[in-house]
This record gives sequence, structure tokens and C-alpha cells, in this order.
Amino acid sequence: MSLDVEEVRRIAELARLQLSVGEEATFASQLSEIVDYIDQLRAFDAGVALSGGADPEEQGVAANDVPAGGRPLLDDFLDNAPASLDRFLLVPQVKATPGGAE
Amino acid sequence: MTVETLAAAVRSGERTAVETVAQAFARIEEVDASVGAFLELWRDEGIERASEIDRRRDAGETLGPLAGVPTALKDNLSVAGHELNCGSKILSGYRAPYTAGAVDRLLAADAVPVGRVNMDEFAMGSSCENSALAVTRNPWNLDMAPGGSSGGSAAAVAATEVPLALGSDTGGSIRQPAAFCGVVGVKPTYGRVSRYGLVAFASSLDQIGPLTRTVRDAALALGSIAGPDPRDSTCSDLPVENYLESIEDGIEGLKVGTIREVRTSALDEDAAEGYRRALRALEAAGTELVEVSVPLIEAAVATYYVLANSEASANLARFDGSRYGHRAAGARSLQRMYTDSRSEGFGSEVKRRIILGTFALSSGYYDAYYGRAAHIAEAMRHQFASAFEAVDLLVTPTCPSGAFARGERVDDPLSMYLSDVFTTPPSLVGIPGVSVPCGLDSRGLPLGLQILAPPFADAMALRAARAVELAIGFECSPEAIP
Repeated sequence: MSLDVEEVRRIAELARLQLSVGEEATFASQLSEIVDYIDQLRAFDAGVALSGGADPEEQGVAANDVPAGGRPLLDDFLDNAPASLDRFLLVPQVKATPGGAE
Repeated sequence: MTVETLAAAVRSGERTAVETVAQAFARIEEVDASVGAFLELWRDEGIERASEIDRRRDAGETLGPLAGVPTALKDNLSVAGHELNCGSKILSGYRAPYTAGAVDRLLAADAVPVGRVNMDEFAMGSSCENSALAVTRNPWNLDMAPGGSSGGSAAAVAATEVPLALGSDTGGSIRQPAAFCGVVGVKPTYGRVSRYGLVAFASSLDQIGPLTRTVRDAALALGSIAGPDPRDSTCSDLPVENYLESIEDGIEGLKVGTIREVRTSALDEDAAEGYRRALRALEAAGTELVEVSVPLIEAAVATYYVLANSEASANLARFDGSRYGHRAAGARSLQRMYTDSRSEGFGSEVKRRIILGTFALSSGYYDAYYGRAAHIAEAMRHQFASAFEAVDLLVTPTCPSGAFARGERVDDPLSMYLSDVFTTPPSLVGIPGVSVPCGLDSRGLPLGLQILAPPFADAMALRAARAVELAIGFECSPEAIP
């Protein structure tokens, strides 16, 4: 299956990526080749029903998460934030500012 | 010196941890401008930790199994207070607020982390060329790729900058660079080593493991980092074996499976000869070679690139400029900030894989791609389990060739992905894989043999790797970095 530039742009938008015109063309060609290769999966007979993954008991994934009791990570976390105000992350408003690009 | 001899010498007082660590820094100073393995050195902290180890020994304390061993950490392993970039611009300036479980165990074993080493961005790559931060070269020939994504880890060990490095392996990222650089690399059983504090790429596949110059060192290191961790719910509670205890027991009488679908005609001539040499070594060590069939192994690369990238597209959604790392300047809305930060921060390969994963999970394609791949991975697990009813171990070449040239495959992602043809199947089914050097190709570059064992039979894989190492007598002495 081949992916054209429009399809690549649509998927990139879903993934919150904006590609340059050059990237769109290159990716369309490269991803088409990769998806063609992946399409060979249709030819393989898996032959068994999905069991839903590994045994949860064996893997320990069924265990409840128990809160470990408040490590003082908030300051470390906020130190990494590009912008913060008091104890909150600061981000642009959800809707574009009037007269803005969006 | 090996990890084992260095740690023994530090424990006995024959040498100090400080001189051991100082020598590692001097060696890094001497050669790393050529190799390019390290992104950052932790000199003061390393010497300070070594001094503390020496002080404890002088006070009569018994030191850990990795006492004073200079260790390099892949740039996706968190160490509290240290910068962590995953080879990416998008994590520029990020400092880890906590330390990874595997690194905690290294520290408890008295190893001394000396710095972080280069990798393909977010561990996506097979040559280390997708790093946004540095160029790493293969110590055997500086024009060649060191492999990836743990290319910095493998190159640092091969160039004797450090005797031990930790890497992470999602579809071959420890084993392939280990093979390219002539060192030993272990991807443990999924769940054997805690992934707490490892930046996630594909959570159902990622495992941390050691790269060393000898199999004994790999066994010692794995025994030190393996074990339960309540902070990683996928980490197994099974007790950790002493991997060194049985490592010299040999493999006489074991049945070793070769896989019918691994055709030597698909290898380059040198890799085929290296593989035959390794099989002869296994026979000489007293094993019986048995051909088995794992038909779905031929679907592994396609399956892997659907599953791994689907998981990656979800895992990497968190990098959007709001909480850490790069934030695009001037965005006037939240949505714009997300898109601009991600578009500026991620490199081409990461974008390509996020798009591929988003495609495989998107409405209308999910069943045909993600669903189908998950189904095949499950069936492959059954096929491997059946194979292990007939044999004790399986072997394949680690890669279809020795190291390729830097720049040779960067514009052809599919050809880069195909170098993972033998390393992706064990990842998909969660079994342990050890890459052990099995000689040089006609260009003088190393080749690796991959040894696979059933889940949690890591000790048996290491024992077989040790037997191959002894039989082949490979010496890791890269000419370009004497």
C-alpha cells in the first residue's frame, strides 16, 4: 500500500507533527516502501487465537500499585518545566489569542 | 582488565577504586575524541564515589561485586540530578528527578558510573547515527558505524574506555552494537531487569542489559542489576540466579537448535562463514546441533516495526513542550505549542516512526496492522516454545553482516531495519539473547553469534556463550583504537 503526501500529512497531524514540504515528500516515499514491506504480514498464517498477552500472574502486572508516600518530587518536576507559576505548569491558552495565527 | 579482576583487586586492596576510576577517565581523555562514545563525564562525582568505596574498604567493610568498576550508562537511564537527553534535542536540559532501578542496583554493587554515552534518538536506530547530539564511531574502523541504538555503550567498552556499560534493547539495541564492536551484549529475559527510570520506547519489549568484553563479566553484571523492583510491575519476582556459578560447566550434551528459516544464503559471505565457525565451535564443545523450524521468524521485522512503533507513538506523546525539555518559542495556543515543540525537537527517524505507529493504530488500519502484528507475535511465542521442547538453546547470527559504513544506510530506513532480522524475534517473544563475538570478517571487523534460551534461562545462554568464547578465543583488540 502506498501513502501519498496528503495521507502522510493527515497522520502527522494526528501525531501532532508538522512536516516540511521536503519531509512530506521523502516520508511518503520511505513510508510507502516500509508499509509495502509490512504488508507481507498478510501472507503469514498466525494459526492461533490471541490469548491476551502474557500470564498476568507470572508477569506480576496484576499487582496493585501502592502509593509509596509522597516523595518530594514536585520541585524537581517543576525545575524541568519550561515555564511554571507557583505549583503549576504554565502553558499557552487553549484557544489562540485574538489576532493570533490560530 | 576485566570487570571481574578489577573488582577483585579493589575488594582486596590490591588497587584503589580512585586509581581505577582515574585511569578510566585518562583513557577516555586519550581516545574519546576519536570514538565519540561519551556525551558527558561525571568526573568529580566518580572520583568522590570511588573515594568513598576506598574509605569503606579501609574501614573493613565488604565491598560489592562491582567494587570500583567504571561504568558507562546509556543516555536513556535516569540518574537523579543528571541531565538525560535520550540522544534527542527535545529533552535538552532535562534533569532526571530520580534514579533508574538498574542504576540503583549498580550503585549498591559499588560500581562507579563515569558518564552517559551516546545512542540513537529515543533508541530508534541500528547505527547510532540518529543521535542528535554526537557522532560515535566503531573502534575497529572509524569509518564504520558502531551499531545501535546502544552504540555509545558498545564503542566505549570495545575501546577499553570502560569495562562495563549498560544499554537497553528493544529489537536488538544491545546485541547488534555488541556484535559490530566485538564485545559481549546481553538482552535479558523480559522482566528480569527493572525498567523503572528507563525512558520508554516500546514498553512491551524494552529491556536493560550489560555490554562487556567477556562473558564472565556480563554474567557478573547481569547478576548485579537483575531482580524484582516494586516500581516496575512488569519486573519478575523470580529469584536471580548466580550466573557465574555454573558458567564454566560447559555445554556438553546440550541440544542446540539451528533455525531452518535462517538461511545462510541471506547472510553476506563473511557472516555465513562466521556463523559456520560458531556452529563448529558449539559442536566441538560437545553439543548436538538440531535443525528446528520457527516459520514466523520471517515475519519478525515487519511485526516488530508495527508493534514497537505503535507503542512508541503512544509513549512519545508525552514530549510536547509542556512539562520538560524543548518548548517552541512564540506559540500562541496550546495545540500550536505541542505541534511546534515536537516538530522542532524530534529528528527524522523519530518522526518517521511516530507516523508509522500512528498509522498502524489509526481508525481503519488498526486491525490490519497492529491487530495482525500482535496476533503474529503471539503465534511466534508459541512456535519458539515448541522449538524449546526439542532443544535447550537456539542460535542465529546476531546480524546478517559485520558493521556497515557510517552514512551507508541513513537514507534507506528499510535497509537499516532489515539489519535487525535476527534480533527482533527474541524481543517479540521475551526470551533472553546473548551476542558473543565469533571472529572477524574479511575486512577485519567483528561478527557475533546470538544465543537464545527459554524465558528466565539466562544462565544457560551465558554458559553457552562462555563455551563459544573459549572455543573461538576471540580477542577484542580494535586496530583503530589501540
